[in-house]
Amino acid sequence: MAHTRSRAGAGVLTAAVVLLALSGCGGSAVSDAQDGGKGPLKIGVIVPLTGPVSSTGKALRNGFELGVKKVNAAGGVGGEKVRYVVVDDAGDPATSTQLARRLIQQDRVSMLFGTITGDTAEAVGKVADDAKVPFGTAILGDVERCHPYGWGFGESTRQLLTPTMPKLIEKYGPKVAIVGSDYNYPHFYAGVVKELVKREGGSVVAEEYSPIGQTDWQPVIKRLKAARPQVLMAMVVGADAVSFSQQAKQFGLLTPGLGYEGAPLDSDYHPALGALVNGRTHTVRWADGLDDPESRTFVADYRAAYTFNAPIPEVAGNAYFGVQFFLAAAKKAGSSDGKAINSEIARLTFDSPLGKGTRFDPANHVFQADMLEATIKPGMEYEVSRRLGRIADTTPKPGCS
Amino acid sequence: MDVLLAIITLFGLYGLVTVGMAVTFAATRVVNLAQGDLVMVGAYTAAVVTGPAFGWRVTLALVGAAPLLVLIERLLLRRPLSDPLATMLVTWGVGMALRQVAELQFTSTARSVKPPIAGTVTVLTAPYPAYRLVCGLVAVAVIGLVLLAAYRTGWGLTLRAVADNPTMAALLGIDPRRLRTIAFVLGGLLAVLAGALYSPLLAVTPTMGFGLLVPVFFGLLFSRPGALATAAAAALLIAALSVLLRVWMSDVLAEVLFYLIIVAIAALRSRPWIRRYSSWLTRVRVPARAS
Repeated sequence: MAHTRSRAGAGVLTAAVVLLALSGCGGSAVSDAQDGGKGPLKIGVIVPLTGPVSSTGKALRNGFELGVKKVNAAGGVGGEKVRYVVVDDAGDPATSTQLARRLIQQDRVSMLFGTITGDTAEAVGKVADDAKVPFGTAILGDVERCHPYGWGFGESTRQLLTPTMPKLIEKYGPKVAIVGSDYNYPHFYAGVVKELVKREGGSVVAEEYSPIGQTDWQPVIKRLKAARPQVLMAMVVGADAVSFSQQAKQFGLLTPGLGYEGAPLDSDYHPALGALVNGRTHTVRWADGLDDPESRTFVADYRAAYTFNAPIPEVAGNAYFGVQFFLAAAKKAGSSDGKAINSEIARLTFDSPLGKGTRFDPANHVFQADMLEATIKPGMEYEVSRRLGRIADTTPKPGCS
Repeated sequence: MDVLLAIITLFGLYGLVTVGMAVTFAATRVVNLAQGDLVMVGAYTAAVVTGPAFGWRVTLALVGAAPLLVLIERLLLRRPLSDPLATMLVTWGVGMALRQVAELQFTSTARSVKPPIAGTVTVLTAPYPAYRLVCGLVAVAVIGLVLLAAYRTGWGLTLRAVADNPTMAALLGIDPRRLRTIAFVLGGLLAVLAGALYSPLLAVTPTMGFGLLVPVFFGLLFSRPGALATAAAAALLIAALSVLLRVWMSDVLAEVLFYLIIVAIAALRSRPWIRRYSSWLTRVRVPARAS
């Protein structure tokens, strides 16, 4: 993967130059991160703006920017406007670590936000813990370990699957197959699927993983088909979500009679897979079809600001409301000291379209918020067909309790 | 039966790209590292131009890419051609530029192409997606035509002559510059064709061609320079190995074993006794073909 390396290298270099220019200090010694809690609040945003996951990274950044803009329009935090620095990690964990360190030491940010893939989130999470700076993510899926300074606004795997699995089994049947890209998250996802299928009295009839970047899915599809599943749970990500779904349809695996849920139904893939997934339901935390005034304003602003006419990715909504949660905590803390803000984040309850009185569970730092069932329709929106209410996930994780 | 069909489909893809790379390599001794990204160019043409019928989109991809390839060869590759490493780096740069242009123009969100032929056909009791079959057969036919041209036409003879000994070929009145341009364009067009043809089976993204580079590169490694048939045979071997392993075991295990076998073949080939044996084989075959 020399190309990612070289691009990442160039990214580091540019980022370094930009950061030096922005901070205006080349050789000052490393000092306490946050100026003893005085001065305007500054947030460091680490997202992949280049590389295979850049479209999701950009969606997160867009949602984040609009969220900060909204808070600033209402007066900012502590009477001052919130500032932020966006840097590109190209989805490479080594780069994420370096960028997180620079943002903390040179830009003196009070919070970090962003990252898309699990490995980059883990990398930044470690730096944030060391520097005692709160770090927020917005993508779905949870890391296996809890970070004392890490807070995820995306739904946890249990929140995603607890309402979904029983409904799929009830509607399509008890025989479930799992397919995933071969890295740690899909395996974790499969573990939760198996646990819930067992609880519902169903059975997992096939489980297949394939290395990322697969072009020919025929052997996998054949094995899946041979197991005659009634429900297929897919955690195949990136371009593979598209090629897998397309080939599954061509080989007659993906029929209207088969329950299909997972990453390929995300709105990110709708421009490519719309025709295959229209009419299906998908469990999400936020959808652009939500009709509360805040979501409507956000959707309108997003479409206008970024001339965007596809379904708005869920990660953008999570980032938009997530950063408002973070800034509300900073306001309460009354300082830009990371440690003080972190303890406020742990205590805060916050109302937003993601739920009334949303808060983080102390045992696992999972965001306790509502879930929705969206129906995918042709056009620009994921229509909300059922509100699933608050889905609690209090399973403790090592690292926090 | 469906294993055989799977091998044909995958061979079509690998074969077009490998033979294309081998044509370029024969005339210029340059490994075109932008070959995978030319696949992406073909696929994007099929994905973005939505108006005309699929066949016309494939034609458009070829017609549109030809001048681009001439430009790349004339402007970028002509000068550093004396240094193969420099030329290879230039093709690497061209590939990177193509990927970045695609990302800026079309974003990294994956696109899909609707197959022009829906439904399945039954080949000897095995149902198989119709377009997959058509696309594999078209690709195999094109590979056959290229091989026919290489072994049965005057142009093919000059290509093989330049591949064998460029100085001698030039002394005999072959213009190596013209041949290089033609070979580079033809080699590139085979990749563009592969991309356009296979776009309904794949996810169209700026980095889609990159993953193809590894099997294709090994295909080139296993072939003899100038002997396009060996390149096609190597592509067939790699496609068959990949499909068979994945039929017998899980994808994850199959991938590990696939690379182990490929690397083992590459390492074994360089052992002196095998080398001697294979060069002895060639020596016997060469006069037989020339007579």
